[in-house]
Amino acid sequence: MNDASIDDLIDGLAGDLKPVRPRRVARGSLWVAAGWLGVGTLLVALFGARHDLAEGAMPPISMLSFWLIAAAGVAAAWSALRMGLPGVGRDYGGWRWAVGALLALPLAALVVFFGEGHAAVETVHHGFDGQCLVQGVIAGLGVGAALFLWLRAGAPTSPTRAGWVIGIAAGAAGATIVALLCSSDDLVHITLWHASAVPVSGVAGRLLLPRFLRW
Amino acid sequence: MSIDEPSLARLMAASQRGDRAAYRALLGDSRKWLTRYFARRIAPHHIDDLVQETLVSMHRKLATWDSGRAFLPWLAAIARYRWIDMLRRQRDEAELGDNDAAVGAEDEAVHAKLSIDHLLTLLPPGQAQAITLVKIEGASIAEASEISGQSESLVKVNIHRGLKKLAELIESE
Repeated sequence: MNDASIDDLIDGLAGDLKPVRPRRVARGSLWVAAGWLGVGTLLVALFGARHDLAEGAMPPISMLSFWLIAAAGVAAAWSALRMGLPGVGRDYGGWRWAVGALLALPLAALVVFFGEGHAAVETVHHGFDGQCLVQGVIAGLGVGAALFLWLRAGAPTSPTRAGWVIGIAAGAAGATIVALLCSSDDLVHITLWHASAVPVSGVAGRLLLPRFLRW
Repeated sequence: MSIDEPSLARLMAASQRGDRAAYRALLGDSRKWLTRYFARRIAPHHIDDLVQETLVSMHRKLATWDSGRAFLPWLAAIARYRWIDMLRRQRDEAELGDNDAAVGAEDEAVHAKLSIDHLLTLLPPGQAQAITLVKIEGASIAEASEISGQSESLVKVNIHRGLKKLAELIESE
């Protein structure tokens, strides 16, 4: 290729130009919020909200876990949205701190597990628990789809990292929705069967999405 | 014409609104900037290809520039993405270099962020030397083997492994 062919290319691209609507993270945030609200509303309508939700009286452990997971989800979703607008020197790593804070859940759950012994073991083997995890992963699909579509139309410069972050955001979103459905207030249960949607979805995002995010 | 950030940002904002004259000027300036950017990173015979690929990507992703932010970091991010893509393709195809010599380029703040010299220091010396000789300086495999004292097979292996690691390093920057 030579100077003339680049000149031709520039002429062609300039001739093809049409006005574009600049992509805004705020608009992407609305997609994500809609993904969370849409799936959350649907699942609450299908399965019913936990008994104490209407009274606004969630026990402290469940409340704390909910907001911890929600913070990780918001941070991951925000990072994913920003990844769609590239720029050398931009920091997309804020989500790592919030997700790191999530480690408080398994650490606390370990203390509870060994402290309560038999009762905790029963919690782990309870038949309904796996359903919470599956629900969590499925419930995150709304947010996952919104972020995926946003990044497909954007320009993520690290599709691998974007896959991880989409998965983590989706898993956290799903875990918060399950927290509105499941009436368990047991920290071991919340950690094992709600919060584990975060790493499960993260790995799924890493494995499935990067090939579709390349451009 | 000097390529300064405020002018480029103004041209880009006008381009997003559909101003073709501004866009043509922007593409011309971007081409000059990209030619310098890639001159430090790849063998000369690949520069035009990569400039064209980057201009096309820029065209496709025009809406992803945020007018509240600087233009050159956005362009550099797209250029870096295309560069990584080329490194991957080279790794996959085990493509061999030709004999041109790389030209120098001015230092710029954005360039410095991703200095190839810096990245090469993060590779094992054998891999860095093989990539420098073949992919940047344009030596043949035989010449690189003679200069480095590595066998021709080892030069190829070092290029393959080094390019793979280099792409990972660039993505993590």
